[in-house]
Amino acid sequence: MNWFLSLPMNFSRVRFLGLSFSLLLIVLALFGLFSRGLNLGIDFTGGFITEFSTSQPVSQENMQRLLEKQIGEKFLLTASEEKTNWTVRQPDDANTSISKNWLAELSEEAELTRDQIQVSALDSDYIGTQIGAELINQGGLAMMAALIIIMLYLSARFEWRFALGAILALFHDVIIILGLFAWSQLEFNLTVLASLLAIIGYSLNDSIIVADRVRELMRFNKNNSLSDLINSAIKSTLTRTLITSGTTIATISAVWWLAGKPLEGFSVALFSGILVGTLSSICISATFPQVVGLNIDCYRLDPENDEEKTINY
Amino acid sequence: MPVLLFGKGGSYVRDFKMKTNNFKTFSAAQSRPPFTRYSKWQYIVIFISIIFLLINALPNIFQEQTTLVVSGKSEEIEMVSASELRSLLSVKGFAVDTIHSNKDASRILLNSDRQSSVAQQYLAQALGEGYSVESIVEDTTPEWLKKLGAKPIKLGLDLSGGVLFILNVDSEQAFSERISFIEQSIKSSLRKHKVRGVRVTTNNHGTITLHHSPQVRLFDITSEIKKQFPFLVLNKTKENQTAIDYPEVERKKFHQEIMHQSLTVMRGRIDELGITEAVTQRQGADKIRIELPGVKDPEEARRIIGATASLDFYPVKSHGKKVFETPDGEKVFVEPIAIFSGKHIKDAHAGRDEMGIPLVNLVLDSQGGDKMLTFSSQNIGQPMATVFSEYYQNAQGETNKLNRVISVATIQTQLGSRFSITNLSSTQEAQELALLLRAGSLSAPITFVKQKVISATLGESNIDNGLAALALGVGFTLLFMALWYRRLGIVANCALLLNLICLLGLMSLLPGAVLTLPGIAGFVLTVGMAVDTNVLIFERIKEEKKRGRSLPLAVEYGYKNALTTIFDANITTLITAFILYSIGYGPVKGFAVTLGLGIITSMFTGVFISRALTNLFYVEFNGNSKRAGASS
Repeated sequence: MNWFLSLPMNFSRVRFLGLSFSLLLIVLALFGLFSRGLNLGIDFTGGFITEFSTSQPVSQENMQRLLEKQIGEKFLLTASEEKTNWTVRQPDDANTSISKNWLAELSEEAELTRDQIQVSALDSDYIGTQIGAELINQGGLAMMAALIIIMLYLSARFEWRFALGAILALFHDVIIILGLFAWSQLEFNLTVLASLLAIIGYSLNDSIIVADRVRELMRFNKNNSLSDLINSAIKSTLTRTLITSGTTIATISAVWWLAGKPLEGFSVALFSGILVGTLSSICISATFPQVVGLNIDCYRLDPENDEEKTINY
Repeated sequence: MPVLLFGKGGSYVRDFKMKTNNFKTFSAAQSRPPFTRYSKWQYIVIFISIIFLLINALPNIFQEQTTLVVSGKSEEIEMVSASELRSLLSVKGFAVDTIHSNKDASRILLNSDRQSSVAQQYLAQALGEGYSVESIVEDTTPEWLKKLGAKPIKLGLDLSGGVLFILNVDSEQAFSERISFIEQSIKSSLRKHKVRGVRVTTNNHGTITLHHSPQVRLFDITSEIKKQFPFLVLNKTKENQTAIDYPEVERKKFHQEIMHQSLTVMRGRIDELGITEAVTQRQGADKIRIELPGVKDPEEARRIIGATASLDFYPVKSHGKKVFETPDGEKVFVEPIAIFSGKHIKDAHAGRDEMGIPLVNLVLDSQGGDKMLTFSSQNIGQPMATVFSEYYQNAQGETNKLNRVISVATIQTQLGSRFSITNLSSTQEAQELALLLRAGSLSAPITFVKQKVISATLGESNIDNGLAALALGVGFTLLFMALWYRRLGIVANCALLLNLICLLGLMSLLPGAVLTLPGIAGFVLTVGMAVDTNVLIFERIKEEKKRGRSLPLAVEYGYKNALTTIFDANITTLITAFILYSIGYGPVKGFAVTLGLGIITSMFTGVFISRALTNLFYVEFNGNSKRAGASS
């Protein structure tokens, strides 16, 4: 990281450029969210459930492939233990409900007729969502409660400007991921929701680590400007940020690459979440307190009386 | 300044040991903290906790094994040879692990356990009528491990399937009960206003009719009905008849409400069972679809889920309109309208009274508490009956309601929102009653339509690839850490692997934890984030070393300075996890468990254990090698 540390101090400009870039991303994300909306998965929307049986067992992979030919990719397949009873869940939208007779077409599929496998329909029904209205309310409440408590904790431990910066960075990350899902129209399901929660944890972690270093530098500051302090805080935590983000992203890339379709949304959300999380920890949570007028002396310790003077810089 | 004494070279490690023995005597006068060294008991604590969690994590490597047993249905039928079976199976692409054949039966073990049910069907078909193919599920966990009570983590619907229940909600029954409740209210209002000569009837469509002579003034009654049930439509159909209709729109609304309530109650009950990754959905107009992962005993789940219980408290009269029976067959007469019902119950817990007799402590919401307070203050010394009602299905499949008087107790004092149902026969009864009451009482009877075992939603190759990806990710992280930090990296990797074991052990300890593929990915991510703890510390140590501090001091300050950061970051995440857990549901709750436990174990391994390891292998080793002149 030496090349980076030796860069001149115009790093502040990079930070503020980053902040504007972040704002631009948020606007883009919000635009996508409002204009296109999320492509909600069947967990959230409810839809149709169709049960059918096959006269002989078929492997789950084959059935999945055969069904994709008929009804596209937006469905969830479950099999009974013997692989002869099948349940297909489809979201309730125009695209998929058009070909209602897909079951008949499925039974004429060459692969099945070759093995003389008969397909017979059992049951068809409408299903409601997995997530009740009370859950959405509860979830919203949980989020609000979490944000308020985190805000209070960080205000007590740091300063309200840092707390606000960390929370803003968190919103930034979540909004951008939601925007990404709106623009790409990737399915937003419960798994993606879980990864969004993981991103929240990650984003907070990143923000706090940078803020913590800024505070520490401010404590023992002699005559540097706030900008310089924040820059050197970011620089000294940069190796850590890159290593942690790097190893995590490596793991996620492996999942994205190998696990394929079922975990696609999950890995996309986490991959981009960690990228924007790293960006926001530098450009928002470290820069925002400066924008709203952080006082350079607010953590300053009196060097004469404090025991920690030995950690001098 | 004694620390300066072992600033450079020399045998500072030995010196240091000597000094730390006098730790107390000089530390007060010291401005710099002396090097922290763990005492024996701390190593013992670390060792014991790791062993404990390792034992709990261990059962996860022993998978269940399904053996297919092929045998002839009668003695005359000749046994199929092992090679025949093998070729039969390999034609269809089943990889066979072992086949043991004797003259009675062949035992087949497939490479992949998940294929066994398909293979079973195929074999039964291929061999024909004369043979029976059975599958035996064997737990491969060694006996000693089972005796210690260790169990593997349950796998989610996507990885190993589970049990599917489809329930039918009988909203018609609930509706007719609603009508009869309205009828009772009208009758009691007639009595209250001392209006005589009015007959109340109800037809099949839920229309209540008041038959009365034309001169009876019904104004008080109708206005009270309108006040109590504003949605009812009152019509004077004839001079001596008033019809009270339940409008169709309202009826539909009632149906929706019942479905909604049933779903909420079901979710509550599944939560009570401690299953986090269940799927609960409404299916069709009046069915509920429930998929439970990792349930070994469907009957148990069925009993808790399927019970439609409600609790009502009635004033006892010497000759009332309603009659209930106690378990002994005694008749109890009560007022037709209950004081309050089970929906006002906020909390219920089983306990024991001073005599050791089981009881259930109840906490009511404010509305129920008010009702109880008003009633009990006016009726001190009067008996009150607690009636427990349950729906059940008889052999013909008809739904019946069973009422049972749990207790008739005299109201001793004014009761508020907290009181107990005493004199229960057993602790188990008290616990089940508390569970049912807590999980909510259902007003509509629920019956089972379907129950079947379902297989994993993810295909076999998806699962294998997902697991391979995670292994690759962890492998890469381990390799990177080892290369980047060298010896400290080994320390970090040990801490990381121990973290993995600890987390797995803790998760296995929790009865409700269910692991799904995203859950495993989250699990690995938490482990990845645990690297962060060590990276923070090691980067600090590097910084301190660059400032020219000696190795033990750099380690000391590295850990000390990184600790506040680690603490702040982890506490915040822990808050998030805790709130998500307490308010969230299903997958969110499951995620919160993994996250929260992951933070705790990563703090334990990343700070506590890695410090011990650093002391043992890094500081001491470096010190020793320096002394020997091997290190630069």
